[in-house]
Order: sequence, then structure tokens, then C-alpha cells
Amino acid sequence: MPLLINKNIVANDSWQSIDTESLEQAQALPSGDIIVPLAFYLENRDDLLGRDGQLGIQVNGDDDLQALYAEQGNIALVAVEFPIFRDGRGFSIAKHLVRTGFKGEIRAIGDVARDRLALMQSSGFNAFLIPEDRFSEEDLNAFTEVSVNYQGTAADPRPIFRR
Amino acid sequence: MYQYNEVDQTLVDERVEQYRDQTRRYLAGELPEDEFLVLRLMNGLYIQRFAPMLRVAIPYGLMSSEQLRKLAHIARTYDKGYGHFTTRTNLQFNWPKLEEVPDILAELAQVQMHAIQTSGNCIRNTTTDPYSGVYANELEDPRAYCEIIRQWSTLHPEFAYLPRKFKIAVTGSTEDRAASQVHDIGLHLVQNDAGEIGFEVLVGGGLGRTPVIGKVVRDFLPKEHLLSYLDAILRVYNLNGRRDNKYKARIKILVNALGVKEFSRLVEEEWEYSRDGELTLTSAEIERAKSFFTPFDYDVNAATDTSFEQKLAEDSAFKTWYERNTVDHRVEGYRIAIVSLKPHLKPAGDITDAQMDLVADLAEKYSFGEIRSTHDQNLVLADVKKADLYSVWQGLEASNLARPNIGTLADMIVCPGFDFCALANAKTLNIADQINERFDDLDHLYDLGDIQLNMSGCINACGHHHVADIGILGVDKKGEDWYQITLGGSSREDASLGKVLGKSVAADDVANTLEKILDVFVEHRQEEELFRDTYKRIGMDPFKENVYAPAH
Repeated sequence: MPLLINKNIVANDSWQSIDTESLEQAQALPSGDIIVPLAFYLENRDDLLGRDGQLGIQVNGDDDLQALYAEQGNIALVAVEFPIFRDGRGFSIAKHLVRTGFKGEIRAIGDVARDRLALMQSSGFNAFLIPEDRFSEEDLNAFTEVSVNYQGTAADPRPIFRR
Repeated sequence: MYQYNEVDQTLVDERVEQYRDQTRRYLAGELPEDEFLVLRLMNGLYIQRFAPMLRVAIPYGLMSSEQLRKLAHIARTYDKGYGHFTTRTNLQFNWPKLEEVPDILAELAQVQMHAIQTSGNCIRNTTTDPYSGVYANELEDPRAYCEIIRQWSTLHPEFAYLPRKFKIAVTGSTEDRAASQVHDIGLHLVQNDAGEIGFEVLVGGGLGRTPVIGKVVRDFLPKEHLLSYLDAILRVYNLNGRRDNKYKARIKILVNALGVKEFSRLVEEEWEYSRDGELTLTSAEIERAKSFFTPFDYDVNAATDTSFEQKLAEDSAFKTWYERNTVDHRVEGYRIAIVSLKPHLKPAGDITDAQMDLVADLAEKYSFGEIRSTHDQNLVLADVKKADLYSVWQGLEASNLARPNIGTLADMIVCPGFDFCALANAKTLNIADQINERFDDLDHLYDLGDIQLNMSGCINACGHHHVADIGILGVDKKGEDWYQITLGGSSREDASLGKVLGKSVAADDVANTLEKILDVFVEHRQEEELFRDTYKRIGMDPFKENVYAPAH
């Protein structure tokens, strides 16, 4: 799946998303940078924090977000899932992460496609995993389709009347 | 009124091109149907029973003559020569072609207009009192705050995919002509004991299948905190509103589920992060917004005119119109004139291209070039000199826009119903005609006094039937249209939800039933009592008994 980070197409994704359903136990995790669901992280916290490689947590709007925010010092990436196109909770999750000072990667996954990229970026996402069949190189233009904004963004939180 | 600067213009221009590309990709099969649906809704485009329907935003119901002429041009060029004003003070075109919508939006952008967020699960057009700025008992003109909210909510990145639609209304006096208590957020300008002006904040009102009156979550919000507090409410809603069932997704359901105390606590907790932050309004920004809504340069000699009194004495039709369709203005010698979009046997809120042009001309000549659209589907010329009223009336009269029925039973709010709307269960326009035919004697209507009658063609309640003295809801029973009647609702400062009279009545029987209801009113009425007051005094039973009495 094509990955955009900071408005560039990234050829190699160092992160591996773990399908914890098929995983027998936490010790069987692969090496390197991995993304695990929040529930799995909370259950296997000590094992995960003890291993080599960076950690990422995957959440969506149904998760206990306070638990996520409490752990954000231990992780380098949050993958926020958009289960369906109409689900906009991820925008506010990104906003929370930025506001509480999370400096790692905030990656949008799931139903991620061109027409919401700019909104996602303004809300705080800096990485986008786009399904292959929905991706085109022209998607990069999405970020500049509307070049002005009234609200603040993650990059510049000042609304227009303070700029 | 507000004038776009370079940023505003760039935004709408670029938004048009963005939507043009989305339409192109959809037609080329590159954009899935369900995604395009969401995207087009955020540009006000529905697919209706026969054709797409485009809803154009009239921010807080205010437009210029130039803008109204543009709407007339669009009606003529891209539609069937008319438009329809809604309870959100927007204008709907019923017959645009999907492929031509980007061109229509480009036309709108030429006159500082757009269709952004007139539909979809986002923050809709903010509405207000149509007499803002010209009504005597106003604390402050709410339109500056409406414009501040318009900018903040337009293309808000975080709040474009809310659980459900979101409507905000602002009022500036103790009277409520914006139905603010049945909005997701109602903001009332109020003064605290220290003499400072701020907002009383209500959350969780709404109509539809679960009608609810909004609840106060904050008695007094200092005005500089307006946006940060709205931001907190919206974030709590975005994260916690239900997403599993669209009929339970409005904020009113969340507020009811949590209880207003817990909801307020969540909002206050969220607000802790943003209060006094970047969203705090600066006094410069408030003053800038206010500068667009300063009073006009009124004629200081307006009150000395005598020609007006003479016309009143000479022309009884003019006098009737004056008494029914004009309202006190805060400046002596001026009146607020209401353009009735409820002519006899025409759909409520409909207006032809020629009528739009005429109203635009009258506004330009006699009312500082501005027109307002109202919650109850009429138009307002807010600043007419008394000496000019006769000319205004003549112009309106010649165009079938001066039926002196404002506030009467014939000044109904009616949604388009099954004839146009894909959601509707029943027709409304034929019932409105039936009522108009039965109650066509204006003197009789005047005798009955002010009565608000609202009608919706389905439980989505676009016609606001719950909050009328008499509400009519169309329901489908085995393929036939039936009508459920409610009494005792109000959208005003004493907001309340109507109660169901009894079992629904057949389509042919609606006017008969109304007559029976009004008979009870007339029988029990004390002096000049209004229908709503008689109802409050005597309750539902006498009405029920008369309507459902066995035939003898």
C-alpha cells in the first residue's frame, strides 16, 4: 500500500503491522518496528516495552483513548484507523495527540483517500497509508487544492484572526 | 454586510475547482459512489425524487441585491425558473443537472456565495433573527458573531465528518425568531450582572424523529470564548456521539444519554485545554466583524414624512398590508417590511426568477440593497423608509408577493414533501392548498389572530411541525397519505413541543379537522386571546372531543 509521509511517497515502510489474532504469544513477535492494537499493547505491555525495535499503537474511535494518551511517551507511532469513510473520530484523536505533545508519527490508516488528506493533515496526521486501488500520484495535489484556511492547523495553530 | 476579502474569495474559488475535480472523477468512475455522496452533500447537492437538489447557503439569511439577482439568474439558466427558501434561510434549486453544478458554484463564487456545508454531517449554515440590527429590543446585533462562526466552521478540518448534521442559531434579544432552542447549539446574547455581554449556551435541541428542547450548559459565556467553547462542544460530540445508528447520532441523543450535567462536565474538561488559547477571540476581531454590520446612514428626516399617512388613509389594501406585513424599526420613520412567500395556492417559500429580480430591485431602491430570508420562509426588507412603503407595496403586490398574511394561519411553514423530496412519506403541497382554499378569507384569519401552522411530509420534520401552534405531519399508511396533528408547540422563547391530538386524519379531512380545532378555539377564546394561550389554558381535551366526536 502506498505510504505518504510529510507529503512524499515513501518507498520502504519500516513499520510492520501485527495481526495479533493469529499471534500465539507476545514472545513470537517479529523484530523491528511493529504496530500493535491498543488492547494487545495493554495486555502485553511489559513484554513489548522490553523488546528491541520501536513500538506503534493502532487505535480507532472505539478504543479507550485515555489509555492511549497515557502511553504515548513509550511509543513512536500511532496508527489511527478510519473504519469507514463517514467515521470522523480519527480527526479529533489526531488533534488530541498533537495537543498533548506527541512528537511521533501519526498515521492515518483504513478508509484513507485523496479527498480527506488535506483535512487529516490539518488535524495532525503526518503519514497516510492509502489502499493501492485508491491511490494515484496526483493525490499529492490534494494538500494544496484549497490553499487558505480559517482555522488553525497542527503546523500553525493560530486561526486566521491571529495570523 | 460582510464583504469577502482575498482569503474568503480564494477559499470559495478553490473549493469550486476542488468540487469540479471531484465531480469529474466521479463521472469518470474514479471516485466510488458512496464517497462522492458524502462529498457532494458537503457542497449542498442531494439527489432527490426527480433530479438533484442544490442548496445554496445564505449565511444567517443575509444577501445583497446583487446576490439575489445571481440566484435569479441561476434559477433561469440552470433550473426551471424558481427556487425555494428553507427554514435554514437557505435557497434550494430543485432541478439542476449534476454535471452543471460546478458551473453554478462558480457563478455563486462570483458574488461571494457558496453551497459549502449546506448538507452532510457537518456544521450547517448558522441562522439568526431576521430582524437583527433593526429591532428595537436588541442587546447586540448577533450577525457579527454569526460571521465569526461562519468562518470558523467553514471547511473545519476536524469537524467535517461529525456523527450527524450540526446546526447553530444565535439570537440577540429576549425574543426568539430563530427557533434557537431546537438547534444543536442555541446561543443567546445576554448580559451578566457586571454588565458584560456574553452568551447563554444551549445544547442538544433538535426536531426530527426525536424532538428535544435544548438544555442550558452554560448560563454565561464571555464572548471572547465563543469559538473555544464551541470547539470543546464539537470535539466532545465528535468523539462520543453515536456512529452506529444515524437516527441516534445527533448531539441531543448524546446529551440525553449522558445527562446535561455529565455532558457539561466533559465540555468544561475539554475546554480547559483551549480556553485562553489561540481560539480566544481578540477584541480586534470582534470589532472587525462588527464593522460589517454597522447601522445604515438613515435619513434623519424620515419621521417627518406625511405622505405615508395619506396613503394609509386613501388605500385600505395598503393599510391592511402595512398592518400585517410590516414591523417596527428601531429608527423612527422606518419599517421592517416582510415579503410574503406564501401567496394564495403557491408552495410556501417558492420564488420565481422574476420575483427574485423584483425583490432585488426594491431592496436596492428602498432598503440599502439588502434582503434577509427568514426561518419561516419569507423575505424581509429590513430598512424601508415609511415614505417608500407604498412604492414597495405596489411593487410586491404586482408580483404576488404582498399577500397580507404574515403571522396568520396562511403563513405556514411547509416542506416540499413527497412531490420533490426522496425522504418524504406524504405530500404536503396539496394539503397546504386545501387549507388555503378553506381559509381563504383573510378577515377570518385576522379574527383568529396569530397562529403558526407548520407541516412536514415525514418525521425528519423539515417543516418543524413539532414547534407550531398547529403541526401537521404526513404519514404513510399502506400507501395512502394520512396526517397526524399536534397542538401547542412553539419555536419561540417559550419553546415547547406539540402534543398529538389523536389518530391521524385522511388527506381529504385535514381542512375539516382544522376547522373543528379552530371552532373550539373560538368558542373558548377570551377576548383577543391567541390560540396558543387558549390552548395553554384549556388543554388538549376540548379539541380532542370536538375532532373525534362520533358523528350524529
